[in-house]
Amino acid sequence: MEKIYVHPLPVRIWHWINALSFILMILTGIQIRYIGVVNLMPFKAAVDWHNWIGFVLIGNFFIWFLFYLFSDKIKVYHPELSPMKHFRDSFRQMKYYGYGIFKGDPNPHHVSVYHKFNPMQSMTYQIIMLLIVPIQFFTGILLWDVERFQASVNFFGGVRVVDTVHVLAFIFFVAFIFIHPYLASLGHTPSAHFKAMFTGYEEID
Amino acid sequence: MTCAEGKWSRFAANMTICFALVFLFMGSMPAHAKPGILSKEDKACLECHAKKGVSKPKAGGDAVSLYVADKPYSESVHNDNGCTDCHTELDVKKHAKADNKKLGTREYSIAAVAVCRDCHKKNVKLYEDSLHAALVRGGNSEAPICSDCHDPHTTRVNSATGPMDDVICQNCHGKIFKAYASSVHGQARNKQTGKLPADQQKAPICADCHRSHEIKAAATEGRIKNACLDCHKGTLILHKVWLPNAERHFEAVSCPACHVATAKRRVDLRLYDSVTNKAVTEKQGVPQFESRTQAADAKGLGLDALALQSLLKEFNREGAEGQTVLRGRLEVTSGVEAHQLVARSKAVKDCDTCHREGADVFQTVTISIARPDGRPLHHGAQKEVLTSPISVDSVRGFYAIGGTRIKLLDYLFVMALFAGIAIPVGHMTLKWLFRRYLKNLEAERSSTQDDTAQH
Repeated sequence: MEKIYVHPLPVRIWHWINALSFILMILTGIQIRYIGVVNLMPFKAAVDWHNWIGFVLIGNFFIWFLFYLFSDKIKVYHPELSPMKHFRDSFRQMKYYGYGIFKGDPNPHHVSVYHKFNPMQSMTYQIIMLLIVPIQFFTGILLWDVERFQASVNFFGGVRVVDTVHVLAFIFFVAFIFIHPYLASLGHTPSAHFKAMFTGYEEID
Repeated sequence: MTCAEGKWSRFAANMTICFALVFLFMGSMPAHAKPGILSKEDKACLECHAKKGVSKPKAGGDAVSLYVADKPYSESVHNDNGCTDCHTELDVKKHAKADNKKLGTREYSIAAVAVCRDCHKKNVKLYEDSLHAALVRGGNSEAPICSDCHDPHTTRVNSATGPMDDVICQNCHGKIFKAYASSVHGQARNKQTGKLPADQQKAPICADCHRSHEIKAAATEGRIKNACLDCHKGTLILHKVWLPNAERHFEAVSCPACHVATAKRRVDLRLYDSVTNKAVTEKQGVPQFESRTQAADAKGLGLDALALQSLLKEFNREGAEGQTVLRGRLEVTSGVEAHQLVARSKAVKDCDTCHREGADVFQTVTISIARPDGRPLHHGAQKEVLTSPISVDSVRGFYAIGGTRIKLLDYLFVMALFAGIAIPVGHMTLKWLFRRYLKNLEAERSSTQDDTAQH
C-alpha cells in the first residue's frame, strides 16, 4: 500500500486539541445545563472549565485557520464550483455509506494530498468550520461576560436568544461527536484514519 | 486740628455709632435661644395649651387636640421659634373665638407644610418629590407629612437617626421594622446604640438606605442596590472571586434574593423602555396596565406565553418597534423579607439554588409596571413563560442557565444524542448482518479473479 502525507503537523495538533476540547466542552456544557440531573462536578467548576477550555478552543481554531490561510493545503477546502457535480458526487458518497458499503462496493472517493475530503466531508467541514464553530465561539464569548457585551447581546435579541443559538450549536456538536469518529472508522481498516491523524500518512491502494 | 486728625476723629465716631447700633440690635432679639427658656409670649400660649385635654371640636368628627407639652417643647429645636412663627394665621383678637372648626389635625398639618418650607426649603422640596408626598397628594390618609415624623413641638436634632426605639418609621412600617431589627443590620445597630453617636454608627437604619425625605419606591431601579453598594464597597470584586458573570447577577438579582436565605423569591418581569433605558411608567390618570393584563388574562390564571407576547405588542403600539421590552429580575416577594438580611456566611452561595430545573425561585412569575409614584403594579404570569419557546423573544432579557431552559431544546438534545448513538449502532448492525453476504461475495470475487488468472 502506498502512503501519502495528507495531515500536516499543525492540522494534527489542531485536530486532537479540538477533539479533546470539544468532548470536555460538551461534558461541562451538559453539567451546566442539566445541573441536578447530571452531577459530574460542581456547577461553578463546570462553568470555569467551560470558559477556559472555550478560550483554548478559540486559540486552537486560529492554528487551523492560519495554517490553511497561508499554505497551499487550503485547496482541500476549495469548493466544487459546479453545484450539479457537487451534489452528484455527494449523492454517490451517501449511496456508498447507505448501501454500497454493505455489499462491498469500493469507496467512490480516492484520497490525494489536495483532495483528502470526499464531497460530503468538504461541504460539512466548510459549514462547521466557517459557520457553526465561529457562531459557537461568538455566542460563547457573549455569554462568558453578558454585562461586558451587553450592547452586542441586546443587538442579537437578548441573552435568551444568544443562549438558544449557543445551545442549538451544542446540540449539533453532540450528534457530530458520535457520528464523526464512527465515519472515521469506515476506512479500509477501522483504525486506518485514526492512525493517519496521528502519523499524517494515509494508506491508499 | 489738621485735616488728617479731623478724618480720624470722624471715622472713630462713626465706628462707635456702628458698634452701639449692633449691640442695641442684639439686645432687642428674643431671649429664648437656650433650651428650656421660652419667651413671655410663648409662656402665655402654654398657659392654656399645656393643659392636658385642651381640644376643640371638629365639625362632624372627633375633637382635635390642642395640647402642647411645655417641657418637651421648651427642649425641642423649635423652642427658638415663637408659637406665632409657625402659627402665622393666629389673630390674637379673635383667637379661640374664630370659626376654624373645619380643619382636623391632619388637614391642618398638611396645610402647615408650607410653614415648614419657610425654614426647611431643601428638605421640604425633597419630601415633595418623594413617594410619601405622592401618596398624600393621591389622598392616602395614612401617608406621612412633616409633622408625622417630626412632631414640631417636641422634635430634636436628627431624631430620625437616633436610637432604634425612637425610629419613627416603625409607626407605619411596624412589620418591616421588626424584620429589620432582627436582621444582621438591626442587630449590629442595636449593639452600637448608646455606645456611639447616631452619626458615627455604621450599621444602617431606615434612612440610610431609603433616605429620610427623598424616599422613593424601593423598586425604583438601582436605588436600594446602590445604597447597599455605598457601604459594601468592593463587594463586586468579592463576588467576582466565586460568582461567574457577577455583574450580570448584580443586575438581574436583588441583594436580598441571596442574602435572605429563607425568603420566598420570584421573577418579576418589568416593562422597560429600551430607548430611554428606564422602567416604563403608567401614565398619570391613564391607567392601562390593569385593563390590558386583565384582557390578556381573561380566566385569571396568570398570563401564559402567548398572552404575554400579545401584551407586549399592545405596549409596543406606540413608540418605536420593540421599544418596550421585559427585563427580568429575581427578587423576594415582600418588603418584610427584603429586610431580613443575614450575615454573609449564611447567604445563598449554591449555584444550583437557581440554576437547576424546577428551582423554587422560578415557580412564581409576575409582570410589572411602575406606577406614577414609582411603586410597582404586578400581575401574575404562569411559570411556563420562562421556559416556553414562544418566550424567546418576549422574555429575551431574562435567562438563568439550567433553571429556565427551554423545554423544546431539551427534546432536540435528546434526539441529537439518540441520533448520534443510533446512527453508528444501526450502521454497525447492518454491516454485521451483511457480513456473511460480504464474505460470500468476496469469496466469489476471488474465485472469479483466480479463474480469470488461469485462463
